[in-house]
Amino acid sequence: MSYLVIAYAFAVALLGGFLIWSLRTLRDLDRR
Amino acid sequence: MNPFLVAVAVARKDLLSEWRTREMVPALAQFIVLALLIGNFGFQIDSRNAPSIAPGILWLTLVFAGLVAFGRTFGAEREQASLEAMLMTPASPVAIFAGKALAASALLVACEAVLLPALSLFFGTPFSGAIVFVVLLATVGMAALGCIFSAIVARVRARELLLPLLTLPLWIPFIVAGGQAVQSAMGLPGSYDQAIGLLIDFDILFVVLTSLAARFVLDE
Amino acid sequence: MKVNRYEKAAAGAVALMLVAFAAIFFYAPTDWLQGAVQRIFYLHVSSAIAAYGCFTVVLLGGLVFLRNESYAADRWARAGALVGVIFTTVTLVMGSLWAKKVWGQFWVWDARLTSTLVLWIIYAGYLLVRRLAEPGRQAARIGALVGIFGFVDVPVVHFSVTWWVTQHPGPVIVNDALPPEMLATFLFTMFCTIVFAAVLVVIRYRIETLRDAKQVLVEPAKVVSARQPEPVP
Repeated sequence: MSYLVIAYAFAVALLGGFLIWSLRTLRDLDRR
Repeated sequence: MNPFLVAVAVARKDLLSEWRTREMVPALAQFIVLALLIGNFGFQIDSRNAPSIAPGILWLTLVFAGLVAFGRTFGAEREQASLEAMLMTPASPVAIFAGKALAASALLVACEAVLLPALSLFFGTPFSGAIVFVVLLATVGMAALGCIFSAIVARVRARELLLPLLTLPLWIPFIVAGGQAVQSAMGLPGSYDQAIGLLIDFDILFVVLTSLAARFVLDE
Repeated sequence: MKVNRYEKAAAGAVALMLVAFAAIFFYAPTDWLQGAVQRIFYLHVSSAIAAYGCFTVVLLGGLVFLRNESYAADRWARAGALVGVIFTTVTLVMGSLWAKKVWGQFWVWDARLTSTLVLWIIYAGYLLVRRLAEPGRQAARIGALVGIFGFVDVPVVHFSVTWWVTQHPGPVIVNDALPPEMLATFLFTMFCTIVFAAVLVVIRYRIETLRDAKQVLVEPAKVVSARQPEPVP
């Protein structure tokens, strides 16, 4: 059961983190 | 200009240059010695399990030797200067590429000519035409791929790191099929003929692909 | 704070993924053979498919670039490669955790896992080569070639390993038949993941475009230096 949780937590962290980081990079580039 | 003649001429030039300097001989020789030493002291090898272990040692050695041999086809600075000169002639880039790949293959085949009998001698595994055929067949495809990536990374930083990183994934099919073929030839279960068929298919596929790519890679 | 249209698209994609997660955890039935851990496979397989889609973008971008030197095509390739590697990472990690629970070990050298690992190595290599090469034409060209060889290699590796396994028969494990609720959940998750990947690729494309534009402004004059003459041997 915990393997399931770890798996999805990892996916959410990686995909979500990547999305947020990309959006922030985009904002930074737009500002300058 | 006849492409075959061009290829042969380029191959001859490379081989003559290698013959004069003999830089590759110690490099390749050390792999052979290493293979024998590690095979003997790294494994608990005896006459019963030798056919299980020897194919692995063979392929490990071929891969490392191949990386060295093909990495040098386009690596050296002198090579790049003479390459630029050749590209200014009307000779087809594919023919030039073929010539260099041919020369590098010849060097690797020379290494194999020592390695295969040595393995058989030191580990007691069979030495047959079937095994030689496998290795020669695999060398064709591995040479095409090794040389094209050598050319691709020739002008990039950290090419000693990049060459194995890019080449090894493409060599995996050869190692899988070739490994099985050698194992079969040494008496282990598995089909030799199917493995050979696969090697031929891979050779055709990758020789065609690298020939198409050569034009883009060499034409800077 | 003004929300730009990329952020709106991202919000929409995230919302879709949340709905998919709801389906995965509350709608799909529990697998009687594997238990709860089987739910991993919905996102695991969807990520793999999204990754293949991204790498197709890399392939097409590379081919178009080789054909007509379109730097826009190259930017799509760069965007696709990065997003693809991220999704492949997700696939590998989720797959390993599932394998540990179901097969008792994190890794098995079967065709699917091996070719997915090779896929990761190839496109991580793609990103590294591009970073190390001279930005611009050299990097784009090398990228295109690596992308093409890499794309061809993955099915070849998959095929080789599948064949190798037939030479060494062992226990066959996978049961692929799916009851309708599971199939529906899987298809829906796949759709949402692909949309999410597409949004990410478009965002990264925009980032690459803005970065390239800044490069041009920052380097107004590039001095062309003559190549040092090689000493004649």
